[in-house]
Amino acid sequence: MTMINRKAIGAAVLLASVSTSAFAAEPIKIGIPIGLSGANSVVAPSVVQSAELAVAEINAAGGVLGRPLALEVADDQSGAAGAQKAYDNLIFQKKVDALITMETSAARNAGLPIVAKGKTPFIYTSYYEGRSCSPYMYVDAWVPDQQVAPIVDLFVDEKKAKTFFLIGSDYAYGRGMLAFSKSYIEKKGGKVVGDEYNPMDASDWTAIISKVKAANPDALILSTAGGAPNVTLTKQYKAAGIKALVGNLGVDEGTAKSMGTDAEGVFLSASYVSSLDSPENKKFLAAMKAKFGDGLKTPNDLSVPQYEAIYLYKLAIEKAGSTKQEGVLKALGEVSFQGPRGLIKMDKQRHAALTMYLGQVQGDGSVKVLKSFKDVDPGAQCPNLK
Amino acid sequence: MTSQILDILTSAAILYVVAAGLLIVFGVMKIINFAHGGFLTMGGYCALATADLGLSPLFAIPISFLFGAVVGMVVERLIVRPLYSRPLDAILATWGLGIIIGQLITLIYDRGVHFVQSPISGAVDVMGESYSQYRLVMLVVAILFGVVLAAVLHGTRLGLMTRAVIMNEDLARGLGIDSGLVRFVTFSLGAGLASLAGTLITPLSSVDPSLGISWLVNAFMLVLVSGSSLVSLGIAAVVLGGAQVLISSYANPVYGSMAIVILAAVLLRVRPQGFAND
Repeated sequence: MTMINRKAIGAAVLLASVSTSAFAAEPIKIGIPIGLSGANSVVAPSVVQSAELAVAEINAAGGVLGRPLALEVADDQSGAAGAQKAYDNLIFQKKVDALITMETSAARNAGLPIVAKGKTPFIYTSYYEGRSCSPYMYVDAWVPDQQVAPIVDLFVDEKKAKTFFLIGSDYAYGRGMLAFSKSYIEKKGGKVVGDEYNPMDASDWTAIISKVKAANPDALILSTAGGAPNVTLTKQYKAAGIKALVGNLGVDEGTAKSMGTDAEGVFLSASYVSSLDSPENKKFLAAMKAKFGDGLKTPNDLSVPQYEAIYLYKLAIEKAGSTKQEGVLKALGEVSFQGPRGLIKMDKQRHAALTMYLGQVQGDGSVKVLKSFKDVDPGAQCPNLK
Repeated sequence: MTSQILDILTSAAILYVVAAGLLIVFGVMKIINFAHGGFLTMGGYCALATADLGLSPLFAIPISFLFGAVVGMVVERLIVRPLYSRPLDAILATWGLGIIIGQLITLIYDRGVHFVQSPISGAVDVMGESYSQYRLVMLVVAILFGVVLAAVLHGTRLGLMTRAVIMNEDLARGLGIDSGLVRFVTFSLGAGLASLAGTLITPLSSVDPSLGISWLVNAFMLVLVSGSSLVSLGIAAVVLGGAQVLISSYANPVYGSMAIVILAAVLLRVRPQGFAND
């Protein structure tokens, strides 16, 4: 028997023993209540895919404390009623060890009391309006304090904008983002000459656009619900010949790409853009492509935090030495993971300092990164929690 | 001021275009076609498919009308006709059909938001105000819709038969008019117009599976207050659409978006025939 053969057999035996031991041990279950139907149904598949990759990678490397990870996905229908059922089912019937998910603010708020009842560790991986606090929850995505500043700073300091007009969809996230933007603009010495909201499902922005034209602001800040409202508003202000600077807080790379020339020149700010030139991001994108092939949903600012959160949970279990919730909850605030977005550590009052990227949509729909801001602090999110 | 008047006129024009197909079906068949929202959505996707084929957006206009009309023919023959004597069931069936159309579109195109480049974009000067070109085009389109439909109803044999069926279907049948044919043609025409309207609004909106839903409720209320007259529909669109624009401007757009529904309900309470003469 040659050396190479012996090595190969040795590796095979090792692999077999790892996988049998992984099989023998009870899996650690991660619950993902997510909007497979409703408003989030467009983005949800990309989030589930990145969770599947993280779990596959971790299991291939021997799991966590000798146990494999397993996912339990439940549809929260993007809203409160569906979330209650999904959380109830995952926590009390499926008895998951932790919840890690991206979902709407309405769904998260409905789920939190159930999380508290089950005392289940919970990592929220969606950017949101901020200041949602629970002793069981950690957040690894951005809040307005991190996202709004790069755009407003650029408009006020470099583009010399003095007057701002804010337009949003009428729900917790839209209003929360713009309330923060308003106070930040005023702190910077800018003036908000109007703020208007349209219902989430409305597709007609006529009256608001006329008000914008009457106010003639230097800059517009938009915070609509993702998808359709974003597209209708962009088309309609463009058609009305509005020439102000535009910062869009609710647009993602994919939507910007599909809008093409109509979104040209729009500024956006995010913690992840797919063109990031780091080895972790390149490895992540290559692994996603290899695993999902043609069925790959483009990774984005909502799906990448999900991938990193699963690794953070793995590291927290290893640090705590078990899946017991007290230990894991404490460890989640101490571990850090070098992911596609950089080094993520949720040690800022249950939130994470993040590197933010200021981008501008180009004529072909691609996003060009103008500037990056390293480790932007989330600010005082949950001063009552350590 | 100019821009507000333009807002009112163009909003009314869009509502008119969106509701015309629904009104025609309601006039003849006395049923509200809840699949109208589905047909609107279908028209949006016709525009998308045309753009994907690399054809000029102008081709989308005949394509979506014909596609809508053909689907309308099939639906009338297979679903609506067997339910003529059960109008309530027919309404339920069209509602279900609307859901099925939405799901079929989701299966083919997924739930995502699609984007169709508009043939006309940017603004022009109107009496010193710059105003969206495409909205002005919609004003012309709405007038064309009205003129062509009036010409068909008042200038052709089929139009005469249609008007007879609208006035009194039993009597018309007694006089030898084939009311089944009139129903078949009007339903197909209504579906074609809905699909065409869906294509015409894509430059102002995104193409997604719920494209038609947001317009359906307003179109429904407008038809309820206008009965079966195209003139009343025009008046209703200007009055209620105008109220929507004014309330959105002076109060806020959240109230504005409820204006048509609430005002139509109040109007029907005070004056059951709405804007119709009879």
